[in-house]
Amino acid sequence: MYLYDEIDRDMLADRASEFRGQVARRLSGEITEDQFKPLRLMNGLYLQLHAYMLRVSVPYGSLSPVQLRALAAVSRKYDKGYGHFTTRTNIQFHWIKLKDTPDILDELAIVGLHAIQTSGNCIRNITADPYAGATADEVDDPRVWAEVLRQWSTFHPEFSFLPRKFKFAVRASPKDRTAAKAHDIGLVLRRNRDGVLGFEVMVGGGMGRTPHIASTIREHLPADHLLSYVEAILRVYNRHGRRDNMYKARIKILVASLGIDEFRRQVDAEWALIEQGAIDLPPSELARIRAAFAPLNFESLPAISPTFEAERANNPALARFARNNLRPHKQPGYSIVEVSLKAPGATPGDATAEQMELIADLGERYSLGDVRVTHAQNLVLPHVKLDDLPAVYAALAATKLATPNIDLVTDIIACPGLDYCALANARAISVAQDIGEKFTSPDKAELIGELKIKISGCINACGHHHVGHIGILGVDKKGEEFYQLTLGGSGAEDASLGEMLGPALAYDRVAGAVETLVDTYLSVRVGDERFLDTFRRVGVAPFKEAVYVDAH
Amino acid sequence: MSTLIKLAGGTAAWADDDFVMVGLEDSVPLSGKVILSLSRYEAEAPAILAQGRKVGVRLEGADEVEALAPFLADLSVIALEFPKFRDGRSFSSARLLRERFGYRGEIRAVGEVLRELAAFMMRCGFDAFEPTDGSTPEEWAATVHRYRHVYQRAADSRAPAFVEREA
Amino acid sequence: MKALSANRLIDGDVVFWANGSWVEQFSKAELFYDSAAQDAALEQAKSQFTTVVEPYLFDVAEQGGIFVPISYRERLRALGPTNEPTHGKQAQGGHEIAALAKAVGGGHTSGRIDLLRKN
Repeated sequence: MYLYDEIDRDMLADRASEFRGQVARRLSGEITEDQFKPLRLMNGLYLQLHAYMLRVSVPYGSLSPVQLRALAAVSRKYDKGYGHFTTRTNIQFHWIKLKDTPDILDELAIVGLHAIQTSGNCIRNITADPYAGATADEVDDPRVWAEVLRQWSTFHPEFSFLPRKFKFAVRASPKDRTAAKAHDIGLVLRRNRDGVLGFEVMVGGGMGRTPHIASTIREHLPADHLLSYVEAILRVYNRHGRRDNMYKARIKILVASLGIDEFRRQVDAEWALIEQGAIDLPPSELARIRAAFAPLNFESLPAISPTFEAERANNPALARFARNNLRPHKQPGYSIVEVSLKAPGATPGDATAEQMELIADLGERYSLGDVRVTHAQNLVLPHVKLDDLPAVYAALAATKLATPNIDLVTDIIACPGLDYCALANARAISVAQDIGEKFTSPDKAELIGELKIKISGCINACGHHHVGHIGILGVDKKGEEFYQLTLGGSGAEDASLGEMLGPALAYDRVAGAVETLVDTYLSVRVGDERFLDTFRRVGVAPFKEAVYVDAH
Repeated sequence: MSTLIKLAGGTAAWADDDFVMVGLEDSVPLSGKVILSLSRYEAEAPAILAQGRKVGVRLEGADEVEALAPFLADLSVIALEFPKFRDGRSFSSARLLRERFGYRGEIRAVGEVLRELAAFMMRCGFDAFEPTDGSTPEEWAATVHRYRHVYQRAADSRAPAFVEREA
Repeated sequence: MKALSANRLIDGDVVFWANGSWVEQFSKAELFYDSAAQDAALEQAKSQFTTVVEPYLFDVAEQGGIFVPISYRERLRALGPTNEPTHGKQAQGGHEIAALAKAVGGGHTSGRIDLLRKN
């Protein structure tokens, strides 16, 4: 884990101090709201429906126990005792007062946390594979490069007032756990034929009003040229991205309008003129960052744990948890443990201060001090010994953190929606809860298998609905909450955008429609097809017919 | 009353602005220093320069700095516009002028110019500012020095963190 | 008929214009019946930029003897989030909050005034 050195800590302190001054100038009237708004957004402070919302950055989804405890403390002292994890692996506090924010930032800075560039038309949090350092299928640790990008992008003087927000995702595994193809820049670490480490660089993915799957701009960029190359991309975007219409200002629009070949030509031309030696990191700095993510001191353990096997055989609940929430770890005798924040009746992605503190304790005691956040709004204990699983499970179960539903129908991504967000058209949380009520049987959920439902309360798509196997988008139809359903989206390596199911449905029809979709799938699926596979085989027609047949 | 702040050697001060900004429809004054818009520069600057007068150019947000490449040696000042303060194109323009084209004259921020962005502007190579928020040179200097370190290289001479760490 | 709302600058709380000052409950909000009065209030509110942020007018209608915001969004602002009844102004309880919440139909019906009339 990268520990902030004095320079990194000075940055946070200087930023917190700068923001304190800006808040004071706003409160005194020296600067107007128009002038202050971009400044507070660059510190992740939104004005929402009921209060200010502060979005704290969790760089590449990585948290230490100390940091989690600090977040819990902030939630208690300044908010209502909980936090909300987002689809960009950040954490939000929904009941913040402007006057407290300088103190909050000071307290977060002490543990190396901040809210830098979590909003605004700048480069946002760099997200990475939540299983980094634990999964066998990575060619390198993507966190190294996420940290490289984090530093390069922080207070970048040229790219802090882009046409629109800019999001990076980095992965190093054939499996995509980051929705990289739905990002402005998606980076996939690979070795080429000669074993040289490099990135497939993809640009122009994005959701929102006009979703796009990213295009590959470069198949293999040698890794040590990452910064100069992305600097070229950002410069072309900063100079030529549209500034006349905020709905047409993302890089995906520029790439689509130029075409990927012309866009590539412009980027390559710019890159050829950049003094790469000045921008790319020197090997010593790269080595320093890489050393922070050196392989951990795993114990040498047998691949099978008799303790765990015995407990699993005797405890069906543990067995179910193991079936759904564990993922293979590269080290024999260890497991990756997903912690679901989607308990029945809970708000998706929310964790109370007590829950955060428990996870901090478990992370400290059982996961080598390492906790992650996923873009599905769940948490991960990446390095748990199989021997310890029964104890970890028991502790999670005692705090409603052991729901055995990862990637299942009730593991729903939902944005805060109209209950909190000033931009929303409709609620998302209660839709997720209503759907959950239709699928209370864990057996049924396992029978259904992998089914990723994603709900956004508005077209800004913070719930990533475009890449949901079932996507649900809240729309405002004459003041009522209506929902547009889509099918067949995927944020994984087989990325695709969802296809519209039919006319928007009123609020009270949505959960029933999802139930009908699932029933349809179960009735036509072949073998062990997931919902997504069945949809791709049979198309939208049988689903549409089933849902709308009883529309009157 | 001066409305121009100049940065020099780490300090900021009010400066006399003896350049006249010639609007698109205006006629050029018969004497003195002038700043012409890009669209007029190529046609009208040579005659003014031939009189031994100093000439500058003003670029709008969408104007590309590459167009200035043939004229840089003659330009006393380049004014880059921020049509709204959130429009960050001129950051790229300034940086390219310094780093790619080696321009050493004055680069001035005009348009909606706020002191909260002073550090970004300075790092991108601006050394003169026409603020629209009533700010003073002292406030500009304070803002420029808010951050003890920087992470990346830009058009200024500040060593990035990775260089500091090597020391 | 309209009312005027904003968020308080210092803490972000939802507030409503009431005869020159700001109140926290919708039930105490001033109602405007003519556009001159509402526009004047809005202008005054906008000038108070160290007190409130983004003041705006919204539609209100009478239903069952009380006044309710027409849009669901405005009702949520007046009450609080539907996923957590102990958060937001709804937690204060009281008869006006209860009446407003009933107008929403427990948070699971639409905001259309027609539906209100049916109830």
